[in-house]
Amino acid sequence: MKRIGIVFLVSLVSAFSAMAEQPQDFLTTFAGQAKIDNAAFSGFDASRGEQFFKSRHGADWSCSTCHTENPVAMGQHTVTKKDIKPMAPSANPERFTDTAKVEKWFKRNCKDVVTRECTAQEKGDVLTYLLSLGR
Amino acid sequence: MTQRILVWDLPTRIFHWTLAASFAGAYLTAESERWRDFHVLLGYTVLGLIAFRLVWGFVGTRYVRFALFARCLPYVIRYLAQLLRGHAWHYVGHNPAGVVSIALLLLLGIASGVSGWSVYEESGGDWLEELHKFTSNAMLAVVFVHIAGVLVTSVLHKENLIIAMITGKKRGLANQAISSSYPLIAMFFLMVLIGCWIWAWPDSRDEIWFREIGQGLKLSLGFRGR
Repeated sequence: MKRIGIVFLVSLVSAFSAMAEQPQDFLTTFAGQAKIDNAAFSGFDASRGEQFFKSRHGADWSCSTCHTENPVAMGQHTVTKKDIKPMAPSANPERFTDTAKVEKWFKRNCKDVVTRECTAQEKGDVLTYLLSLGR
Repeated sequence: MTQRILVWDLPTRIFHWTLAASFAGAYLTAESERWRDFHVLLGYTVLGLIAFRLVWGFVGTRYVRFALFARCLPYVIRYLAQLLRGHAWHYVGHNPAGVVSIALLLLLGIASGVSGWSVYEESGGDWLEELHKFTSNAMLAVVFVHIAGVLVTSVLHKENLIIAMITGKKRGLANQAISSSYPLIAMFFLMVLIGCWIWAWPDSRDEIWFREIGQGLKLSLGFRGR
């Protein structure tokens, strides 16, 4: 019941502040979840995030297949060939400012790249990597 | 004397099954970026098919005309009440509940297709994505109600309506039959549909076999590479 209450409160808060998020807020959220997932959680790491971002995880796609190895630059959808705006918040301040979008795209793209949902540790590492770029 | 008579013309039957397949395909390819191009193509197909149906609803054969639909609508409540009591009237064309589900499917199909197009072109706000999700799920729900209705009515009237949508034949009086199944219009309709698919066949993929199918199809129709 306590868990449900927390989830409810979190979703309520995130629903009311949907557009007001900052990338840093997501790091806090991911860290909170990562601690629940793994008691030995010891923070996020940009180089681990970079490796995750560029690795193909045993299949044919990596995050960088579409978002390129340089997330400060424009990306291109490998199937539709449509432009994708840069992932790094330094190059595109809209990134990681909307909870619904962050959740949607991590869920959708993780299924395509790693064929499962990403862990909070992985999401935090990737975001830490993206935040380290272009500063 | 009732006998097996022609009720659904061929363009209507082709429309029915291609729409069902396109919507099912679009729904199944919605969750992955891998199939995004096919999802979009299937969505445009839904829109194109519905565009045909809207025209056919005015110039088509007797039982597919919207004018008949409109006259059917006031009897929906009565028909549903009859269904509940287990003895509904037999209609040669669509029954009133079927008319409602068709109207909803056409409207939701248009809303889903147009909102999906806008999401793909990123020409609108985030609310359009929510609308796209809502209308697509609502459409799936109506599809299930439609299928349930077809099954119930088939059992009730001991008339297989699924087969009827393939052969075009239902029970009725000889003078209630439509005069032609319009095979030439059906052929033209199918040719346009297949032509559009070949022209729009996604060639953006990296897989060689995939490109070769697309190129081969296009060349066979005289298209030069885009």
